[in-house]
Amino acid sequence: MIPGKYRSVSGRAANNVNCGLHLVIQTSSLPEKSKVEFKLNKETPSFPGRLLQHDLERNYSSRQGDHINLASSSMPSFPILQRSSEEKILYSDRLTLERQKLTVCPIIDGEEHLRLLNFQHNFITRIQNISNLQRLIFLDLYDNQIEEISGLSTLRSLRVLLLGKNRIKKISNLENLKSLDVLDLHGNQITRIENVSHLCDLRVLNLARNLLSHVDNLNGLDSLTELNLRHNQITFVRDVDNLPSLQRLFLSFNNISTFESVCCLADSSSLSDITFDGNPIAQESWYKHTILQNMMQLRQLDMKRVTEEERRMASVVAKKEEEKKRESHKQSLLKEKKRLTINNVARKWDLQQHRTPNIATNQDTKVSDSPSQDPSQLHGSAVVSAFPEETGSLDSGLTSALQGLSVTDTHLVEVDGDTLSLYGSGALESLDRNWSVQTAGMVTTVSFTFIEFDEIVQVLPKLKMKFPNSLHLKFKETNLVMLQQFNALAQLRRVDQLTIDPQGNPVVNFTLWKYYVLFRLSHFSMQKINGTEVTQNDMIMAERLFGILAHVASSELPQYRLISILGDARKKQFRYLLETKGKKPGLVNEDNNDSKRLVGENTNRATLNYTTRDFYNERLEEIKEKKKFCKMYMEDLVKEATDINMKNEALQKLWPQMFIELVRDAVIEIRNKNSYMKLCLQQITDQK
Amino acid sequence: MLSPERLALPDYEYLAQRHVLTYMEDAVCQLLENKEDISQYGIARFFTEYFNSVCQGTHILFREFSFIQATPHNRASFLRAFWRCFRTVGKNGDLLTMREYHCLLQLLCPDFPLELTQKAARIVLMDDAMDCLMSFSDFLFAFQIQFYYSEFLESVAAIYQDLLAGKNPNTVIVPTSSSGQHRQRPTLGEASMLEGVEASLFYQCLENLCDRHKYSCPPPALVKEVLSNVQRLTFYGFLVALSKHHGINQALGALPDKGDLMHDPAMDEELERLLVQIPGLVNSATANPEASCLPSRTPPRVGSPWRPLHHARKMDAESDGSTEETDESET
Repeated sequence: MIPGKYRSVSGRAANNVNCGLHLVIQTSSLPEKSKVEFKLNKETPSFPGRLLQHDLERNYSSRQGDHINLASSSMPSFPILQRSSEEKILYSDRLTLERQKLTVCPIIDGEEHLRLLNFQHNFITRIQNISNLQRLIFLDLYDNQIEEISGLSTLRSLRVLLLGKNRIKKISNLENLKSLDVLDLHGNQITRIENVSHLCDLRVLNLARNLLSHVDNLNGLDSLTELNLRHNQITFVRDVDNLPSLQRLFLSFNNISTFESVCCLADSSSLSDITFDGNPIAQESWYKHTILQNMMQLRQLDMKRVTEEERRMASVVAKKEEEKKRESHKQSLLKEKKRLTINNVARKWDLQQHRTPNIATNQDTKVSDSPSQDPSQLHGSAVVSAFPEETGSLDSGLTSALQGLSVTDTHLVEVDGDTLSLYGSGALESLDRNWSVQTAGMVTTVSFTFIEFDEIVQVLPKLKMKFPNSLHLKFKETNLVMLQQFNALAQLRRVDQLTIDPQGNPVVNFTLWKYYVLFRLSHFSMQKINGTEVTQNDMIMAERLFGILAHVASSELPQYRLISILGDARKKQFRYLLETKGKKPGLVNEDNNDSKRLVGENTNRATLNYTTRDFYNERLEEIKEKKKFCKMYMEDLVKEATDINMKNEALQKLWPQMFIELVRDAVIEIRNKNSYMKLCLQQITDQK
Repeated sequence: MLSPERLALPDYEYLAQRHVLTYMEDAVCQLLENKEDISQYGIARFFTEYFNSVCQGTHILFREFSFIQATPHNRASFLRAFWRCFRTVGKNGDLLTMREYHCLLQLLCPDFPLELTQKAARIVLMDDAMDCLMSFSDFLFAFQIQFYYSEFLESVAAIYQDLLAGKNPNTVIVPTSSSGQHRQRPTLGEASMLEGVEASLFYQCLENLCDRHKYSCPPPALVKEVLSNVQRLTFYGFLVALSKHHGINQALGALPDKGDLMHDPAMDEELERLLVQIPGLVNSATANPEASCLPSRTPPRVGSPWRPLHHARKMDAESDGSTEETDESET
């Protein structure tokens, strides 16, 4: 009859009902022994369906035999209870009306010193007619149909109130029950804990199997040692640290999933016994050690003793978790920074690509078009680069695999194991840094994003020098538009794989681009292009398509052109190198040899070069001067030639006449031989 | 040699007509640019090589556009060079977009303007759907007309516009017989929705143009032939007809006939020789690479994903081109 846990309250079974603190309840032999009498009011029709005359008569007479007398009463509709005086003397302080099929509380007359009243297993819907029992200490209404706590306001001595398995929706009307020691409200429909703050003597509170979704409002329960909240829907627990005496807390079969939702338990120094089984939190891998770590005072968890070993493990694991969390927080911060930077670079790139005369509006539309890009960029503060730019310090502290080396709002350089990623044209400057041999040696893939290909071309020699093992090049959003541009890659030492992302590289739309790459870079023996392997057939096709071009480019060019083109390439490389800072003269020779070797490698393709548009125009500008000079020079020559020609023609015309005159003059001179001889002699003497 | 008409022209004009000065200027300019290199082996040799290459038509390779455009001979040489270098692309059967052809042009001339290619494409595509694919021969012949006769075509376009603008749907005009005026109204029927201009009228204007024009024009007789076949024609119709006319092509002399477009035995031989030298093609008899072409070739690495090797001869077969192409449809 009485739930077993309460038996242990005193530890011994005794018939002593008189002790104030220890309530001992006799076990179930009571109901049979009690002899009760019921008086029934026969005139009652109007009690709304709860009192069934027939039932009462029938049942009572069968159960209790002839000890029950149902007598009419003065009050409408309530039965009046009377016991035989024999009974009254024997069991003066207790009355059991268990399983009497009562639907209402009967009026109990002449039992004012009653201490224990048992109404278990009935159909009572309201607590009534017990206000006169002011000495009542123990009231048991377990398993009835009570919907509201009421009618208890006079029971100031009540210590144990058992209202389990009813239909109570709200805790209320307990104001006067200040001596309450045990309150059992399990199996009801209570949704909130309230109106219990005055129960400062309450030691056991049972709210299992209710509809609680959270726990709070627990202040004032200074004596509470046991709180049973099993089988509810609790998601978070608060205020438990306000319970100074709480030792046992049962939260099995609720909806707790994180420790944060019950974090107040950590602050409760009195708690020694707690259960969480049946909650989502108990399924987590970190459950046990988190609880143990946070609740060092715990002795039992889920009804099992907590050993020292477990506690130690818990703290170790907790420490590790902390470390990991900190690390991953750092990582995620770094990742976020990177993401922002990349977004920023992308935005700048887009602006660059869609250059219009009206830049302002373009910017506006760009900003509004891309709401997905992080709005925090509009605040535009430069993030200081994560690592300083000096030489040695790059190596220190680069332990983690992910290294964000330079993060500003305009470009990003990142080395991730074997991949060097460059975002934004500012990133190209980072190639000038002094990279450690180890780091540089490990890099096998270089990825360029949001950088103009023409700018990349200029740093390829540097790349070759600083990252000798880079075999895989990736280009995304680099504005590759012409097949010619691939010629520039020929100057590298070696490329195994090439990945040209279609995004931002229109050249990929051409049908022949792969074959051209294979043809021009055939000396690399490339393995893969855009992830697909290069087959023998591909190479053959490439050669077949463009082989004649190579032949023409090499063998049909006049010698001086060949030299000038190749010389140009060499000169260009030197020029690019000279523009870097910290150039050492010794390197010149190395490159000299390099380019000589390059020339020797692939003569028939070496003339296929790529000059960036800017350099080309520069060169044409330079040539203009020369052209002007040449033109003038030629004009002079032509003038001279035409003059001579004119004179020649004139001479041709005049010559016959002149000849005749010459002959005539000569003949006239010689007509007189003597005078001619004299003339000649005269001329000779004159000459002296 | 000493024909009377040659002597009839004054000096400058004679030189200009033969573009001698252009080449001389260019030669001297080249000399200046590369004097360190050229001084090594002698100026006389340089001039010899230069003019030899002019004769052979290789002087325009990788030169700037202004030079290529300068003389008709240069233009013709360029066309021929383009044909020779990329004939294999056409032979392969690929259809390319205008941009891709432009890219190929740029391989030979880095600053070739896009407008010219676009105009050529318009001829092929009849000014419609500029992103369409074109075959090599179509593009090449259209490009020839556009490039070689570009100034002439501009004038023709102007004339055509004039003729079009002069259209008056409700006017019946009596054609005059004089050929000197090219602002005549075309004869039209009443409810005319006819497009283009009348062929004979058009021809009269063109004939006039050819007489006056300084730049090169297609031979008038052939133009007449083109125009005599049709009653009316549009501008692009006219250009297409020009591009497809064998006679004009032969008169130009740069490209072979359409039927022979894919044939170039000398180059094919050369190509075979090159194909044989591809690394990995281990046909031991032919595996000694010619020193000049591939001196420091490293042997193919173990583990490279080569397909089973074919015999060198098999690849000569024409049919292999297309099947291999479809096999490689991973792009």
